[in-house]
Amino acid sequence: MSLWEYVQDRWSLLSFQSYQHLSLVVQSLLIATVVALALACLAYRSQRVSELALSVSSVGLTLPSFALFGILIAFIPNGIVISVAALAFYGTLPILRNAVVGLSRVDPGLVESARGMGMSRTATLVRLEIPLAWPVIVTGVRISAQMLMGIAAIAAYASGPGLGSFIFSGLSRIGGANATNSAWAGTLAIVVLAIGLDLVLNLLGRLTTSRGIRV
Amino acid sequence: MSASTAATPTVREGLEEVAEERALLDADDQRGRARLITQFAACLGAFLVLIVYILVADLTSVESRLLSVETLLRLSWEHLLLSVAAAVVVVLVAVPLGVLLTRGPLRRFATPIIAVAGFGQAAPAIGLIVLAALYLGTGKGPFLLALAIYGILPVLANVVTGIHGVDPKVVEAARGMGMSAFGTLVRVEMPLATPVIMTGVRTALVLMTGTAALGGFVDAGGLGPLINTGIKLGLDSVLVVGAVAIAALALFIDGGARLIERAATPKGL
Repeated sequence: MSLWEYVQDRWSLLSFQSYQHLSLVVQSLLIATVVALALACLAYRSQRVSELALSVSSVGLTLPSFALFGILIAFIPNGIVISVAALAFYGTLPILRNAVVGLSRVDPGLVESARGMGMSRTATLVRLEIPLAWPVIVTGVRISAQMLMGIAAIAAYASGPGLGSFIFSGLSRIGGANATNSAWAGTLAIVVLAIGLDLVLNLLGRLTTSRGIRV
Repeated sequence: MSASTAATPTVREGLEEVAEERALLDADDQRGRARLITQFAACLGAFLVLIVYILVADLTSVESRLLSVETLLRLSWEHLLLSVAAAVVVVLVAVPLGVLLTRGPLRRFATPIIAVAGFGQAAPAIGLIVLAALYLGTGKGPFLLALAIYGILPVLANVVTGIHGVDPKVVEAARGMGMSAFGTLVRVEMPLATPVIMTGVRTALVLMTGTAALGGFVDAGGLGPLINTGIKLGLDSVLVVGAVAIAALALFIDGGARLIERAATPKGL
């Protein structure tokens, strides 16, 4: 059976798992974006806290995802909770880094003008600083999305949802019929999803960037 | 910046700027050193805790067969060798290839390749590893190949970006002084691009350590099998020891690579 025939044959399962994979990544990404933005807003005004946030982000990204899955499996029985927790954790790190860097790069002169015009701190943050840092933050979200697509493949081993199940079923049937087809289908579907999600995020990022700084 | 109106303030401002930059760099260096020391201390601490745990904890006979101080150290060493070997392959392929992509007729392929490299991280490492095992069999060889393929694109992107980032005026000046194209590459462009390239090498090492954790799936050894066995047999102690050891090793390798990065960066930068 060729890969194409295999895909046609298993289309319903493949499309269902693709949907699950995408939904797992997108939901974790949403959690990650909210958490990272909140942390960055708390951190960026103080240089020391910003540095701490950047170190946490870089150390966190060094931790192998399979090791984190392993530790979570020991303490949490539910595969879906493990998957979302691990993906949200990894997703937060690049967004946090980009948000802290983006927010701290906003011209202090502009912030002072806004404050001088009588805007409150919150208003300055929401109406001036976040919009100016937005393109950098969106880049962080896109980097996270790419990374999560790959990490989510391992979630299947922790009995989570997603396309990883195709890869692992290929592995468990080494030498058997369709083992390679199954692994290829899972791997390629993840790449396709990643490219699609990146295009959508890129478009969303452009649409939500303030008109004045759109390139 | 016209010289006639305010030559002195401009010069002074320039000097102040330089001094400020120096201060920032020095501060960064100090912080970097403190961070490195903390990082190494944390790794050693984690390994000590694991060793003490193995020695002291009340392990069942199955657990103690899987876990001993000797096994932990042997598997960690094996894991380290696997990651370094994969990273060496990655660097040996990616650096010359990256340099070629910035020369002459091959230059036009640089942009599309970097664009593809952006999606490299999305290709699931486990997919490549399983495919390598399906085509070439399980064990260390195919596993290393899969790791290397997974790591090449990001490093390649860094090499190309690094060399492209070198100020074209500097290159022109070197050529104008009569240096050959090759001399300019080796003595001007590569040293100036070293920080970016070395960041790529460190990323490769860390990436390989993390990905080598998947070795348990294809009988490639390293610390990964501890996690797989732990999950399969429901032995949380084995699982957690494996996971913590891999995390500590990744931090250790990251610290080591940062040291190499510093040593390799030319003094002038």
